[in-house]
Amino acid sequence: MKVYNGNFLKDVVAKLLEDGYRVYAPVREKNYHVFKIVESVDEVSFDYVNTKKSPKDVTFPQNEVLIKYGDWVEEIPARVDKTAIVGIRPCDIQGLKLMDSVFLEDITDPYYEAKRKNLLVVGYACNEAGDYCFCTSVGLSPFRSDYADILVTDLGEKQVVEILSEKGKIIASELNLSDASEEDISRKRELERKVLSSFVRSVNTENLKERMAQAFNSDYWKEVAMNCVSCGACTYLCPTCFCFDIFDDGELKGVRVRTWDSCQFPLHTLESSSHNPRREKWQRLRNRFYDKFYYMLVRKGEFYCVGCGRCIAACPVGIDIADVISNIPSEVKQ
Amino acid sequence: MNSEILEKIKEECRKLPDDVSYIVGFVRKQGEPREILRVLRPGEIDRLSYSPLSSSNPSRIVMDLAKSGKVAVIAKGCDVRTLKQLEKEEKIKRERVYIIGVSCPGVIDYRKFRNAVKFRLSEIESVELVGDDVIVKANGNEQRIPFNELIFENCLYCEQPTPKDCDVLIGEPREGRTDFSDIEEFEKLDREERWKYWMDVFSKCIRCHACREVCPICYCEECLVDPSNLAVSPMTPAEEKAAYPRVLGKTVSASDNMVYHLMRVLHHAGRCAGCGECERACPMELPLLKLERKLKKVVYEVFNYSPDEEIPFLSKLDILPEV
Repeated sequence: MKVYNGNFLKDVVAKLLEDGYRVYAPVREKNYHVFKIVESVDEVSFDYVNTKKSPKDVTFPQNEVLIKYGDWVEEIPARVDKTAIVGIRPCDIQGLKLMDSVFLEDITDPYYEAKRKNLLVVGYACNEAGDYCFCTSVGLSPFRSDYADILVTDLGEKQVVEILSEKGKIIASELNLSDASEEDISRKRELERKVLSSFVRSVNTENLKERMAQAFNSDYWKEVAMNCVSCGACTYLCPTCFCFDIFDDGELKGVRVRTWDSCQFPLHTLESSSHNPRREKWQRLRNRFYDKFYYMLVRKGEFYCVGCGRCIAACPVGIDIADVISNIPSEVKQ
Repeated sequence: MNSEILEKIKEECRKLPDDVSYIVGFVRKQGEPREILRVLRPGEIDRLSYSPLSSSNPSRIVMDLAKSGKVAVIAKGCDVRTLKQLEKEEKIKRERVYIIGVSCPGVIDYRKFRNAVKFRLSEIESVELVGDDVIVKANGNEQRIPFNELIFENCLYCEQPTPKDCDVLIGEPREGRTDFSDIEEFEKLDREERWKYWMDVFSKCIRCHACREVCPICYCEECLVDPSNLAVSPMTPAEEKAAYPRVLGKTVSASDNMVYHLMRVLHHAGRCAGCGECERACPMELPLLKLERKLKKVVYEVFNYSPDEEIPFLSKLDILPEV
C-alpha cells in the first residue's frame, strides 16, 4: 500500500493525458456528474457520490458502427487506442467485471475486447454511502476492488493508493508515491468503518434463489408493475445491463449499427412470427429482476446487480429494486 | 397544512359511492419521503398519504383502470386538466371517474429537495407545507426551507391550480395565471444561441423514452418517433412490417434526439396539460417543459386556443375560417 501527498486522481489524469491516453473522468454537468472524455485536468471534478449514468459506455457505447455498406462493405475496426477511466467507484468496477464475463467468456466480442484490453481502470473508494446505495447487500464493499488496476482512497490531504496490476504499476511509477505508514492504514480502516456504518439500504438475499424460483408465477409481479411505465431509464443507467440490437440504417447505402436495447421495451422480444413472449408490461418488469438476481446467478454465479442504486433514483414512478427483491413473497399465493 | 388535507382526503374516500372499485392515490415510499402513486381498494384507505411531494399525475393509471370499473382519484388542478383532455379524446368516460380534487399550491421538485435537505432521506419523518415554508422533520430535529426555493419551476406558471371539474374539492380555490415570461425571456436569445442550447440539451438525452411513457397524453400504441414499436398482430404480413415508415432509428445523437423530441412534442399541440411529468421523469434532467410551453404559447398566440376549450384543438382548426 502506497500513499500520495496531494491529489492523486487529478495528477494521474494529467499524467495519462501527457502520455497520450484517451481519458474518461467525471465531469460536472448542471446538477450531476457523468464520465466524459476530458482534454484537460481542469474539466474534471471528483466531488460526487456517483455519476448519473454508469460508465459502461466506455467499453459498450450506446451506438457503435460495425460496418459501412453500399456497393461495397467496409468493416470499421474496433478502437485500440490506450484508454483510461479515472474515478470509477467499486460498484461500477464490479459492473465492468460482470460485463467482461458477458462479452469475453464463451463467445468473445471483438469490439468489446479491443476496448477492454486497452483500458486502464483507476478506481476511487467511496467516502460516503449515497441515499440509494446498497452494494454491501450484494457482497461488495465501497472500499475494496481487486479488479481495478489502481484503487485510490481519499484521506483528505493525501491518498492511499493500492496498486493492483502490472498495468497500474507502470502508471504509478510515474508519480511520486511512498510507502503507507501504520497511521495511514489505520486511518483508512477507520474511514472504512465509518462509511460502512452509513449504509441505510439493504436487500434481503436470504434464500433468494429459492424464493425467486417459487415466486415466478406470483401475482406479486403484476402488483409491482402496476405503475411501471415500461421506459428504459433503469436499464440504460444500469452498469450491468448489456442487451443490444444490431440493425442496418440505410437501404442501399448505410451503416450497420449496434445500439443499446432494453428488455422493458415491447419490441425487445417480438419475434418475426409476431409472437411476443413478454407482451405484458409485468412480464418485462419481472424479467429485469429475474435477470439481475436469478438467471445470471444460475448462469454465472454472480448477482448482476452491483447495488449502485441508479435505477431507484431515476425511476419515474418510484420502483425500488431493493424493496422489490426484499419483499418477494416466500409463500406464493396463486 | 398537508396533514389536514390528507385527513380530508381520507374522509372523502370513506364516503365514496358504492360502485367505486379502485382508488388511485399517493402512498409514501419505503425509506424516503417520496410520494408514489398506488392503486388501492376502498378497504386500504389508511395507506393513503399526501404531501407537497405528491407530484405525479395519476391520469395514465386512471385511463387504464376506468376501462374495467369505476375509479376514484385524488387529483390536482393539472391532473384534472389531463383527465378532461382524455375525456375530450374519448379515452375516459367521465362517469367512470370520481374526482377528489385538491386545490394545489404547487409541488416540490424532489431534485431541489434532495439538494436542500440536510438529513438523510431515510431519516425524514414528515414534510409539511406551512404558510410559505416547508418544514422537514427528522430524528427530533426540524429544518425550515422556503417553499419558493423548492417549488417545481413549472408550478410558477400554473394556469389551473384548482381542479375545474371534480366531484368534491378539498382546499380553497386558487387563482391561476397565464404567464409565458420564461419563454419570452428565452426567445430573446438569438438563433445561434438557441441552437447551441438545444443541441447541448439533446446531446445528453439517452432516449430511454421515459418522457413519452409517463406522459398521459402519449397513449398511442404506435409511435411515429419509435417506429420499431409499431403494432404488429399475428395477421400482419411481412411485407407490411417491412414497409413501416422509419422516421428515426435507434441511434442516439444530438440530431436524432432532436427529431425525437420535436416530433413527440408537436403531437401535444393544444393537448398538453402542463403537469410536468416528462421533465420529472427524465433521468438526465432535461428541460423538456420549455418545449411544451413554447408550443403552448404558439397555440395561444397563433390559433387563440386554450386546452381548456371543450372542442379538441385539431377539430377546431377544421372549422377555422380560411385566412
